Amino acid sequence: MAALGNVIDFPARQLAGVGSAASDALSGAAADAAAAAGAVVRSVRFDDAGEVDDWGRDPALVSTVIALSQLRWDIATGGFDALPKRSGALVVTNARRFALAPIYTAFALTTALDRPVRFVGRPDDAPVGPFLRRIGGLLDRPDELEAALRGGDIVVIGAAPHTRPRGVGVVDHALVGAAVAANVGVYPAATTSSPFARHARIEIGRRIPASKTRRGPLAELELADRLRDQIHRLLDEMGDIPTGTPLDWLPFSGLGRH
Amino acid sequence: MGGYLGTLVTSMLEDEPWVGALAGIDADPPRHRLKRTTFHRIRPGEHDRAVETIVDFDPHIVVYMGVWEPDARAAPSAAAALTDEASTTVLGAAAECSSLESIIIRSGIEVYGRAKRSPTRPSESSRRRPTSDWGRSVENIERTALTVGERVGVTIGTLRLAPVLGRHVPSPLGRFLRQPVVPFSALADPPFAVIEDRDAARAFVAAARQRLAEPLNVVAPGAITVRQAAHRGHRLTLPLLGPEWLIARPASYLLGAPIPDHVHELLHRGRLADGSRIESVLGLAPESSTTDVIDSLYSWPSVIHRPAQRQVA
Repeated sequence: MAALGNVIDFPARQLAGVGSAASDALSGAAADAAAAAGAVVRSVRFDDAGEVDDWGRDPALVSTVIALSQLRWDIATGGFDALPKRSGALVVTNARRFALAPIYTAFALTTALDRPVRFVGRPDDAPVGPFLRRIGGLLDRPDELEAALRGGDIVVIGAAPHTRPRGVGVVDHALVGAAVAANVGVYPAATTSSPFARHARIEIGRRIPASKTRRGPLAELELADRLRDQIHRLLDEMGDIPTGTPLDWLPFSGLGRH
Repeated sequence: MGGYLGTLVTSMLEDEPWVGALAGIDADPPRHRLKRTTFHRIRPGEHDRAVETIVDFDPHIVVYMGVWEPDARAAPSAAAALTDEASTTVLGAAAECSSLESIIIRSGIEVYGRAKRSPTRPSESSRRRPTSDWGRSVENIERTALTVGERVGVTIGTLRLAPVLGRHVPSPLGRFLRQPVVPFSALADPPFAVIEDRDAARAFVAAARQRLAEPLNVVAPGAITVRQAAHRGHRLTLPLLGPEWLIARPASYLLGAPIPDHVHELLHRGRLADGSRIESVLGLAPESSTTDVIDSLYSWPSVIHRPAQRQVA
């Protein structure tokens, strides 16, 4: 009988199999989160390097925060090979309100490039401002951005926040002008993320050269407009943007997940 | 040149082959034995004597370091008065010298101030907006020197030093960090940079040699926070949120480490500056990083016992 049982799948056993498959499917997300949490716990470091860099960025704290941020974002990064290995560069991303796109882009690029990447947009009030400074935040001042770029840093700035996932707000031409003054490359970056899911994606575009025909501030204005167009194009190339909601199950959406 | 940094600069200038005659003025005698410098002990208020001495010497270069940091060697009000009086006297007298070509003055990165949304790492081109008494004092010196330079047609080189720490340099920040228990702002704990006295002195010598004619930040590379510094020195740290500073400041004063307003500002807003131009302009780079200086701060002995060279009893 036992041998027969090995040959024939009895209904009870099949049911048990179905049950376990269903529970596997249901617990898949939880298991995924648990695995991510385990990876975070293993990678979190509590050692203090005992110093910060010239801008007040604390490498030990940054690696800890990056590890913790993996609980929130599971980021796929593409196109980062275009960024310079040593010299400075300005990366301009699209942004949505409360999405923290410049911050997670800076974290993803820090991990991908294995060099410090800063972001613009920290407040100057305690305790948030000092904390963001410790993880690489700069004030949104053109002179501050220019000094960081001249120092050979990669800095991420966000366009003005937009409510639509595929929308790109205005790019601050004064900040772009800092990159022109520092004579470093400017790169567009399209980012997508969901408020309800961990999936996020960053696609870095090719360097956009500054106009050689313009000598005045029009060069920065035109460069900012071209950046905006290029980010639009990158977002279009990324396909549909997942929302992390049941809307993704509808036939007209949900095809662009990485 | 009576202060430790002034004496250090003078002894380095004595070794420079391009330097001819050297003369120095201060209210206090020099801290080291100097080989070929003529020292004149003149108090800041003695205008006539200072003018007479400087005009008689008729220098080509004046290296002006007559600044009193609050709570370093003098109380804040006395320090401000002495600094103001000395700068007016010496720079005014220098303007009367017919051979004068260049003036090098000591200033500080406190001149940039730490107002809300002020640059995190101001460069030399950043606007001067001092927000502390010490910052306003050094800004006054810069303004006086620039006025003198414009009127008599000499170049003005300004060295804006980060807080100077050294084995014997009186510093309110150094005293504060060497306390057994170091309070820090738990909500901010901002980074700051310093400069070691020898690096600062080398910068003065190079600036005099090259007739520096612009402002220049002199800052050690790297930065550190108060909590990190105290940990490096194996001190106990005391996190404070805000109102407790009303108690911590007088307590620190009573323990011999007063916290003047520019140090209080540093503890809450940090103090960094972009010192990247020094290498291209003066051809030298600070030898000690900020963390090296902080490590040295905790290894310097409080009292150095030197046996007598000759027993007389």
